[in-house]
Amino acid sequence: MTVSTKPKVAFFDFTGCEGCQLTVIDALQTHADLLSAVEIVQFREAMSERDEDYQIAFIEGSCSRTSDEARLKAIREQAQIVVALGACAHLGGVNALRNWQSSDDVRRYVYGQGGKLYDSHKALPIQAIIRVECFIPGCPIDRNEFVNALKALLQHRLPRLPDYPVCAECKLNENECLFMRGIPCLGSVTRAGCGAICPSFGACCEGCRGLVSDPNIGWLRAVAVEHGLREGGFEAASRLFLSHELMESEGDRHGKH
Amino acid sequence: MNLQVLPKGALVEWIELLSARYRVIGPKRKQEVVQQQPAGDTQQPPREQYIFGELQGAHELELSYPSTILPPKKVFLPQKEELFSFKDNGHQVDLQLDERRTVIFGIHTCDLHAVLLLDQAFSQGAADQHYMARRANTTLVSIECLEPCSENAFCKDMGTWIMPETFDLHLTDLGHEYALEIGSAKGSELLQNLTNIRTATETDYWRFNQVISAKWARFPYRLEADLSELPSLLAISYRSQVWEELGQQCLGCGTCTAVCPTCYCFDVVDEVNFDLTSGKRFRVWDSCQFGQFASVAGGHDFRNSRAARLRHRFYHKFKYQSDSFGLAGCVGCGRCAEACLVNIKPIDVINKLHRKRVAVSGKRQEVMG
Amino acid sequence: MSLPLIETFSTTSAYLPLVARIADVRPLTQLEKLFTIELPGDLSLKHAPGQFVELSVFGVGEAPFSISSSPSRSNGTFELCVRQAGQVTDALHALGPGDAVGVRGPFGRGFPVRRFRGKDLLFLPGGLGLAPLRSLINQVLDERSNYGRVIILYGARHPSELLFQDELTLWSAREDVEVQVTVDRSDGNWQGHVGVITTLIPEVQLYAPNTVAFTVGPPVMYRFVLVELLGKGIREGNIWLSLERRMKCGIGKCGHCQINHLYTCLDGPCFPYAQIKRLEEAL
Repeated sequence: MTVSTKPKVAFFDFTGCEGCQLTVIDALQTHADLLSAVEIVQFREAMSERDEDYQIAFIEGSCSRTSDEARLKAIREQAQIVVALGACAHLGGVNALRNWQSSDDVRRYVYGQGGKLYDSHKALPIQAIIRVECFIPGCPIDRNEFVNALKALLQHRLPRLPDYPVCAECKLNENECLFMRGIPCLGSVTRAGCGAICPSFGACCEGCRGLVSDPNIGWLRAVAVEHGLREGGFEAASRLFLSHELMESEGDRHGKH
Repeated sequence: MNLQVLPKGALVEWIELLSARYRVIGPKRKQEVVQQQPAGDTQQPPREQYIFGELQGAHELELSYPSTILPPKKVFLPQKEELFSFKDNGHQVDLQLDERRTVIFGIHTCDLHAVLLLDQAFSQGAADQHYMARRANTTLVSIECLEPCSENAFCKDMGTWIMPETFDLHLTDLGHEYALEIGSAKGSELLQNLTNIRTATETDYWRFNQVISAKWARFPYRLEADLSELPSLLAISYRSQVWEELGQQCLGCGTCTAVCPTCYCFDVVDEVNFDLTSGKRFRVWDSCQFGQFASVAGGHDFRNSRAARLRHRFYHKFKYQSDSFGLAGCVGCGRCAEACLVNIKPIDVINKLHRKRVAVSGKRQEVMG
Repeated sequence: MSLPLIETFSTTSAYLPLVARIADVRPLTQLEKLFTIELPGDLSLKHAPGQFVELSVFGVGEAPFSISSSPSRSNGTFELCVRQAGQVTDALHALGPGDAVGVRGPFGRGFPVRRFRGKDLLFLPGGLGLAPLRSLINQVLDERSNYGRVIILYGARHPSELLFQDELTLWSAREDVEVQVTVDRSDGNWQGHVGVITTLIPEVQLYAPNTVAFTVGPPVMYRFVLVELLGKGIREGNIWLSLERRMKCGIGKCGHCQINHLYTCLDGPCFPYAQIKRLEEAL
């Protein structure tokens, strides 16, 4: 399979910390051949040129304002492939923590009296607004996963995400389970693909890659309590990245969407 | 049996000698990374953990380790291994076989039994040359366990607490010395140029026999059913409620299969370079505990619940492999029980099934009587 | 003399594919294409109908496909009917004549049709199930005098999904082959039978003790077809099926294709119903 012309790629940022874009820049340093395979036409974090003619759009950040929605739809119009880059675009990210409170309260808390002037709403994954073909999870993204996803897109196929938990990769690295050290960890319900980088460095998995498709949250909660996590502590831990997913599944359970 | 005796102090010299000719692997301490957690939390210091790894010298070798996180299968079947590389859209392929000469020190007898089972699986029918190449170039130095390593181990029940008939070199701790049994030419090759070794005297044999005899009482039986009964116990337990209960509990994380010394299921994945015409094909560990493991192109999953997948693992270990190899697929090492967050333990599962059967046949006898 | 493929590479690595060339690609339906693969040198596949190969698109991956051509008609080539349904098949559909693919195999047990000389043969392909059965049917037709009646009952979901329509016409035209085709849903132009494949079975007059049935289709079809065939009095050992699994290695190692204690890639993919009827995971 040969690609006649280099596909044009653009990067966009919405509500997020731009850490995933930094990871992309980092990946560019270690994969110089990446630039021979694609043409980057828009990347605010890395270059000043800007072209609206692109086929693949990488979108970082969550959608958190009404005005974001129009911009997302415009990107969708242009791009053949939309890629959600990182936890904010994929899951709503840390930003979605605010979804547990009313948007009015959040605006008042952040902006004070001027709060009404802002059109911010709940922090949503971009998939809530537009169709998304491909997801690169993580906070930040894993650079190898980014590189492999891009290769797959160049081969005209969609990269497949693992649908097993982080525990699997953690064991391949021969780590002691963090629970055995009394550290609660979300690895057993979180989608693998990161190489269990956090537990391998002694930090618990916080679920930044989202839930596997069949998470056994009930039993993991029991495990956490058994290992000394206070009641409610598990919920607090799982909200950091999984707020949107948990609220959605809660909604499903009550028959609404 | 021709017993040799080696003072423990000679290990330094021995491993130095071997390192010149072999990659030397053995059980060593795992260095865990510890992060400072917020004050007042529940964190405890890491426990002593052991792994099989390349040795920089005898000082790293921990021959009295209880167990390792992963079994030695990773030496023959690495977590991720290159099968071949390709160029020019596949018009050129280059095979990758690992033929490094390797010695693995300190393999417990349960793990040695497990390697023999893997040997069967990978050599029968069309042989797996990638496994066979590593295996053929590896010499195993096993060691006799004198104490059970954990309450989850049931090696005595599985008959793996003593050495199999096939081995290369086997060590038994006699206190200040090791007794060495030589089981193969490959094993005796390891003793070349070793100066400190001597042939056992009658006293050595007496000490050796004492140590081995003392083992019996120290190792408990933990299964309530005999090894020979397990296939038939499972044969009548296929529809047992136990699997549904365990399926509720199971996290589906695949830890049990990763740490299992006899699990060898794998997936095959390609990685392509940015030219899209060259790349590599890899084999990576897979797990029958993952959803989609038994699914087909159309999407149908033939084992579509955690209960069905968990049952498959137990059947594979305690029935299917016994049926096809004549060797139990489980060696009773206890790693899966040790590592399972929700405490799914083979000892408990087998005993539960056994008690259910006893209860049923007891009732039947009452009725018949 | 040409060697069966598997013997030529098993001395190096059972996972190393032989590099072959796509000789021809023919679209059959919207989703299915027929690929003719040409082996290098004077190698021939020497397969039995019902066996499968592992086909690689280098850089994307490998997947199992049952062989669709009859060994009686191979000339250094073989045919695979490929439905676009995943990563490897998507990539295959993008390839054309001259492109390289990797081949390993043939693997597994095929249909032992020559055990059934003199018997009446009943073929029941459903949908893509015609791909492997076409191999068997054409072999049987090439040695037609060895067998009794040849009956083909083919069911597809929709007229647009019928595979090998030219061959169906050829078979129907023969006096020594009885062919019936049905679709689950008709379109405006369809003149034939409408209804699931099982609706064809009661109409067929069979002498059950002398009949051997070969059926390939999706799991749900098997359940209903089996009920009909057993109801007709065909023996469990004389009903042959081919089971679909995602064989990764083809040589009984990777574990993906296990059906209870059986390995589909070694013990199958073709099984007599009698062998699998008690296996919970089979159908």
